[in-house]
Amino acid sequence: MSNLNIDSIKKQTFDAIVIGSGISGGWAAKEFTEKGLKTLVLERGRDVRHLIDYPTTNKYPYEFEHRGELTLAIKKENPVASKCYAFREDAMHFFVKDKEHPYVQEKPFDWIRGYQVGGKSLLWARQTQRWSDFDFEGPARDDFAVDWPIRYADIAPWYSYAEKFAGISGNKDGLAELPDGDFLPAYPLNAVEDHFRNSLNKNYGNRHVISARCAHLSEPKQIHFDQGRGKCQNRKLCQRGCPFGGYFSSNSSTLPWAQKTGNLTLRPFSIVESIIYDEKLGRASGVRVIDTNTKEVTEYFAEVIFVNAAAINTNLVLLNSISSRFPSGLGNDSGLLGKYFAFHNYSARINAEFDGLLQYTTDGKNPSDGGYIPRFRNVQKQETDFKRGYAAGFSAYRSTDNDTTGIGADLKSALIRKDLGPWRVGSHMMGETIPKESNYLKLDTTQKDAWGMPLLRINVDYDDNDAKMKKDYINQMTEMFTVAGFKNIQVNDASQSPGLDIHEMGGVRMGHDPKTSLLNKWNQLHACKNVFVTDGACMTSTSTQNPSLTYMALTARAVDYAVKQLKRGDLLV
Amino acid sequence: MERRLAIKQILIAAGGLVLLPSCLKHEGKSSILLSRIDVSATQEKILAEIAEVIIPKTDTPGAKDLNLHLYVLKMLDDCYEKEEQDKFFIGLGYFKDLDQQEIKALVIAANSEKDDVPKDLYPFYNLMKQRTISGYMNSKYVMSNLVIWELVPGRYNGYFPVKTA
Repeated sequence: MSNLNIDSIKKQTFDAIVIGSGISGGWAAKEFTEKGLKTLVLERGRDVRHLIDYPTTNKYPYEFEHRGELTLAIKKENPVASKCYAFREDAMHFFVKDKEHPYVQEKPFDWIRGYQVGGKSLLWARQTQRWSDFDFEGPARDDFAVDWPIRYADIAPWYSYAEKFAGISGNKDGLAELPDGDFLPAYPLNAVEDHFRNSLNKNYGNRHVISARCAHLSEPKQIHFDQGRGKCQNRKLCQRGCPFGGYFSSNSSTLPWAQKTGNLTLRPFSIVESIIYDEKLGRASGVRVIDTNTKEVTEYFAEVIFVNAAAINTNLVLLNSISSRFPSGLGNDSGLLGKYFAFHNYSARINAEFDGLLQYTTDGKNPSDGGYIPRFRNVQKQETDFKRGYAAGFSAYRSTDNDTTGIGADLKSALIRKDLGPWRVGSHMMGETIPKESNYLKLDTTQKDAWGMPLLRINVDYDDNDAKMKKDYINQMTEMFTVAGFKNIQVNDASQSPGLDIHEMGGVRMGHDPKTSLLNKWNQLHACKNVFVTDGACMTSTSTQNPSLTYMALTARAVDYAVKQLKRGDLLV
Repeated sequence: MERRLAIKQILIAAGGLVLLPSCLKHEGKSSILLSRIDVSATQEKILAEIAEVIIPKTDTPGAKDLNLHLYVLKMLDDCYEKEEQDKFFIGLGYFKDLDQQEIKALVIAANSEKDDVPKDLYPFYNLMKQRTISGYMNSKYVMSNLVIWELVPGRYNGYFPVKTA
């Protein structure tokens, strides 16, 4: 500090600092800047400007050197990233390359990352469901983790708030386990998805197939046009960045919105080394930033700091923020920072064929990916030999049979004829996992990355509950498929490593008690009141829903609280 | 065959290439830049003939028109293990010194898995056929004219009626 003159401190001082520009950081930026706070958003990767920096967005398959496929060299250099379904020739520039950003896998963990402005919001699968009280009450009812300090009523208005701005398509399905939201029109199920829905309705009381709720503008409203976004054009090339702003991303939505207020300073190429804790004031005073290009270290100051670096890196930043008050990481009085880390169990899928409804096929593309089956196990009460349950995706498409056995003119005409075959149906499980102390993140004590940051050690694994739940998913789905008349049922017990679900959660969990949690009900560090965490790291439990919508709602709610507290001066004591 | 090769070299020279004496011992190289495999102009020409047998020119363009053999080479170069590349060249070796009719006969025999086709020709042939087909289906011509690939569909109908003949 002594080497800085007053002017440069002023220049480096903001009202709020947001670490990370992904789905939750973008929301924090929007909320702070709209409320008039001068806000610095720090992003460790490069800038990606909406429309401008989507180099592949309008390419045809034949314009890619390898027609979309990965080369052997890229696969070998990226054994982790190349496992992700979206890491292909058209979008691999939005993924972290394994070699550049190493980490230590104490147990196999596929850490999929997007280091750029917008983060993984450019790449996400865009599925958005609300949590219900069956989810928030889960840990207390079923005796795991700690009780959530919030309930559905606390977050419901913020879900509405986030949904209206982001644009979420869906039906009001009237299901207690999956509360309805403020929706744009849903993408309807197709003939066979409807058939499966009807079959479940007829044969099972509490099992439903609904139109998947997703962050696509099926019918944009004025608020979306005001963001410069337009109707989703069913391209399903979302991972390239959308020229229509048809799906929600920080790049297309929250960041340009924040920019328009004149209150946003976005600084790409900025790794947050640590949050600076001021021992005298008893709060955080700012952040220490490493410029990724020059490796120069700069300090930035603000009255409130939001950590939205994505779950694992948020843990890293806090663990690396050491002071005499917090020798084992900022806010870590409980010693639980980095622990009770969890994810979603995506390790099974089922495929089958259906030879009914052959009078129909589909035309165009469904951006919602089809159907969603909300959790039906252990909802009202415990009824199986495992805790909690799973949601599932369900979709159907009409196959085309191309006979490639021939040669010459016969082969040519067979290839373009596209004879329709049976319908193919598929489902994948999305299981809740139980956060445990033995699933943790910690800093490596010797190894550092190219910028001098300690490498993360990840120790996360499935457990017996996950195995039982997977077995149940396979059994139940096989039965439901059979009842619906699906044939040739194939179970793919994929056994993928944790991480590939890209739903990493926890490590900085919310809770009532500072002895057993890091954050209070406002996502505020119990022990350092002007630091908030509203990305996946804050999650006390995982439930089954895709988590991003909950991060958006929690973020907007926490910013609202933080700004009110700031105005009262309460954050600064 | 040697005469044909000589003629070809003359043509290359006439096309502007300077053939140094030492180069006369070597055949010309592939027309595209390849990094992990070594392909001669002759091999490239054979591959073009084979691809044309698989996807011939009819009233629509064929493999040669669409340069499908160059796509196969590009994929072989970048996307396959060395073992698979080696097997590819072993199989390709069976086409050496064959004329156009002989090439066609061997491809047709391989495609119908005739008994007298050597077993180690298949790793080559299967890759060649599969990649020729994928190159064809992903070609601008097919995607623009025969099986239309839409960049901006702008619609979804989950109950689209199937046309009945």
